[in-house]
Amino acid sequence: MALAEPGPLALPSGGPSDGFNPLGVLSRPVAPKAAWRKWLFTVDHKKIGIMYGAAAMFFFMIGGSEALLIRAQLWAPRGKLLSAELYNQVFTMHGTTMVFLVVMPIGAAFANYLMPLQIGARDVAFPRINAFSFWCFLGGALFLNSSWFFGGGADGGWFMYAPNSGVLFSPGHGIDFWNLALIITGIASLTGAVNLIVTVLNMRCPGMSLMRMPIFTWMTLVTQFLLLFAIPVLTAAQFLLMFDRLFRANFFNVKLGGNPLLWEHLFWVFGHPEVYLMILPAFGLVSEMLPVFSRKPIFGYPFIVFSGVAIGFMGWGVWAHHMFVSGIGPISVTTFALTTMFIAVPTGVKILNWTATMWGGKLTFTTPMLFSIGLVTMFTIGGLSGVTHSVAPADTQQTDTYYIVAHFHYVLFGGAFLGFMGGLYFYWPKLFGHMLNESLGKANFWLMLLGFNLTFGPMHILGLQGMSRRIYTYDAGYGFEIWNKIATIGAFTLASSVALFLFNVFYSRVKAKNLPNPGPDPWDARTIEWMIPSPVPEYNYDPVPTVTRVDDFWYRKYAETPDHRLVRVHTLEEVAQPGGATDVHLPSPSYWPIVAAFSLPIIAYGLIFTLWLCLVGGIILVTALFGWALEPPDAPGGDHGDHQGPDDESSAEGPAPDADADADAGATSDVAPDGAATEDEREVETVG
Amino acid sequence: MMETQSVESDRSKVISTGFLDGARRNYPREVEYVVVAIGLAIITGLEIATYAAPGFPLWHWDDKVGLVMFLLLLMAVKFWTVAYFFMHLRFDKPILTRAFYTGVLLALGVYVAVLAMLHGFIAGQH
Amino acid sequence: MADAAVVDHDEVAPHAHIEHDTNTGISNTKLAMWLFLASECLLFGGLITTYLLYKTPLTIEQGPAPKQVYDIPFTSVSSFVLLMSSLTMVLAVAAIERGDHHRVRTWLAGTALLGSIFIAGQVYEFTVFKSEGMGYTTSRSSSAFYTLTGFHGVHVTVGIIMLISVLLLSLRGKIPEHRSETVETVGLYWHFVDVVWIVIFAVVYLIP
Repeated sequence: MALAEPGPLALPSGGPSDGFNPLGVLSRPVAPKAAWRKWLFTVDHKKIGIMYGAAAMFFFMIGGSEALLIRAQLWAPRGKLLSAELYNQVFTMHGTTMVFLVVMPIGAAFANYLMPLQIGARDVAFPRINAFSFWCFLGGALFLNSSWFFGGGADGGWFMYAPNSGVLFSPGHGIDFWNLALIITGIASLTGAVNLIVTVLNMRCPGMSLMRMPIFTWMTLVTQFLLLFAIPVLTAAQFLLMFDRLFRANFFNVKLGGNPLLWEHLFWVFGHPEVYLMILPAFGLVSEMLPVFSRKPIFGYPFIVFSGVAIGFMGWGVWAHHMFVSGIGPISVTTFALTTMFIAVPTGVKILNWTATMWGGKLTFTTPMLFSIGLVTMFTIGGLSGVTHSVAPADTQQTDTYYIVAHFHYVLFGGAFLGFMGGLYFYWPKLFGHMLNESLGKANFWLMLLGFNLTFGPMHILGLQGMSRRIYTYDAGYGFEIWNKIATIGAFTLASSVALFLFNVFYSRVKAKNLPNPGPDPWDARTIEWMIPSPVPEYNYDPVPTVTRVDDFWYRKYAETPDHRLVRVHTLEEVAQPGGATDVHLPSPSYWPIVAAFSLPIIAYGLIFTLWLCLVGGIILVTALFGWALEPPDAPGGDHGDHQGPDDESSAEGPAPDADADADAGATSDVAPDGAATEDEREVETVG
Repeated sequence: MMETQSVESDRSKVISTGFLDGARRNYPREVEYVVVAIGLAIITGLEIATYAAPGFPLWHWDDKVGLVMFLLLLMAVKFWTVAYFFMHLRFDKPILTRAFYTGVLLALGVYVAVLAMLHGFIAGQH
Repeated sequence: MADAAVVDHDEVAPHAHIEHDTNTGISNTKLAMWLFLASECLLFGGLITTYLLYKTPLTIEQGPAPKQVYDIPFTSVSSFVLLMSSLTMVLAVAAIERGDHHRVRTWLAGTALLGSIFIAGQVYEFTVFKSEGMGYTTSRSSSAFYTLTGFHGVHVTVGIIMLISVLLLSLRGKIPEHRSETVETVGLYWHFVDVVWIVIFAVVYLIP
């Protein structure tokens, strides 16, 4: 058999050295000049993190508006603002938006921006997949909200119970949009999870063993594992629902034996790990902030780590506590009541450790500290109501009432969201090179705390008095009116606190022009991301640091005397990195991630409206995937300088063993003759 | 390498990020793969025998329990064989085994629980 | 480092020269593929669970149950074909690690061919079932059966496309010995697809 002679050996990166480009004219955006191109085609984890955060805040406004509509409708009995049908759509979209388009992406924002910095890496393991994840999420999110323009939003509740979610009871397109959108965002989450796990496991800087990683990185790792395993379960359930609705399958067709409980089980097997993966990043952030503002290390580092891992594991064993009244039988109910009680233990460990961290510390009540204390207190309240739910007989009364609504808003808003707000205030200088205004920040916190408690506190009472959730109105004479009014006032107070935050963002940005850069370490913090300039240079670290213990950066600045007093041993200038490096190679931007990502909503529109669109979307997707696969990870001419070897002494070569050095040497000699873009070669290797 | 480490690094271990080849044992030779494949074929033959020779007494132990257990056992052996030999889990670093088995065991645990709760193991309509 | 993992570097041990050093000693791509396969267990588990729940025929149903239309001898041959494709796949990986490019292409082509035979067999099977009255929407068990095996078939098809792509890349000389991980990663995916079929064959077809 006469096979073609093998061509010249490929570069280590796999790039073609003979300019073979099967997709012809589209040249890679090696060094985009225009700002929009920089963001659209970026593969830099920091830009992607910022985009996740900005998108999340945008959808927070949308979900928040939906919440205000709900509260306005429920101001008085027999409200006229929303019809029952519209109300169903609004609360479904509110829940779906807040869970999938706000809290999860904010977690992703912090994970993307912060985690590589905390482990001393220059980017994540797969930068283009990282970009794809973001654009995929954005596409799915926009696709979901486009349902409003195509006949209305989904109306089955964010948990979308079957057969209520079938075409018989919900004939419009809303649920199809919901289904497909979440499959798309699920793909984003799954690819992101693989990416970030590989990054944490494989790309830590020298000396950073797993038990020296910052707590936020640990919580991110657990979160990504939860995503990795939980999303496929939801995807399976959603495909079943999709085939039922679009192709008349019989998964939830009760007439032909479809079992509604199948949906409930599949959804909640996903749903419970889901809520843990929403809270864990906020737990991680608080674990970073509390020690800084107590000037004490986190109390019981191994316990915080292991309790986080324990929550991750145990979270898989409690899902049926969402189904106590679904007729699962006494054995199941008892089992899951017990497991749910047990899972309070690792969370309690964390609360204890956070409190013990603050105990005896020199506390400064900056805005991030206030938000962190807010999380600890509000989450505790939410956790306590959660424990009352675990008592199954009590839950039989509580379930489907506002008591549950109070519980999960205390843990999700009072917990996750307050933690994220603190994280924003804390990391804002690192991201953008200026601080957010402290006075406005404190006002933001107190107003938010007040509004939050006014909104959700009364819901405990409403629930125990018997007000049902997920209904568009209530009658007078049950005593619900006063608490609903307070809750609505609280909701608008909350909205004004968010407006205050936005105002702070813009105000601080304007004021910052006249203020000096806060420098790398405005808070006198503990972890290595605070030793690089603010805002972070594109290459992150130069040189990549070597760490020797937990809170390595702190102990570069301070030492402890034998009688346990802190003594400053180095000034900031001595230990911080000055930045300004110009010869660091970075992964190159690319078109394909965004093209591939936006083909998915096209396919989704096709499934709903016309299969021709599926064909179009499919062709774009396949083209994009092939273009991506055939494109080398970096533009030709780049060498691979991001070694994780110990190079605090900043030598150009890493400690590459002989074979690797040979491969590198071979590569560089192959690279030189590729004269296609010598200018680009140089540009690729500069910062920005 | 060790000699040139800075003073800071001496205080504790620097994590080695050494030569990358991902294996702790040699991968098998090709003839070994063929032998394993023949073994798999034989096991498949046994599985088919449960269908082709329905009278065999083992299949009827305790009504159908014997048959089910036999088939599940063979399935598990084939699963494990392909994962360990063809996918190199036996020869690569244990972290890959742990990562994969976490998924397998989690899936097994969760879905067996779901089936049990939906009375999937009780004969009859459900 | 001199005292790295003690492994014999004879021709049999892998020589995956990757450009980055990693903390675990395993390349990013390989670790990523294993994580992805672990998550796929959850996906297929859900679909298998659905089938197991729904497989019992109900009196109300209009068409035959899956059990009644199965052609076990035919499916056994299909299963055997897929199993052998795993062998050809691992032989391809062994060949690239030895640097034998001619063999790699042979075995890759063989794997893709066997995979295509499997898919052809599935398609044929489905058309026969349909003609015997078991369509996608006939009953809950038929929906579950086709969805599960259909998902698996799509995964196999994607695998075949990947195999052919790698084969073409190899023909153009883009898969040198030190990029053996490309073949190995595709191989991992292919073996997993085979492993899922091992489970489906036993649980769906054989177990009563």
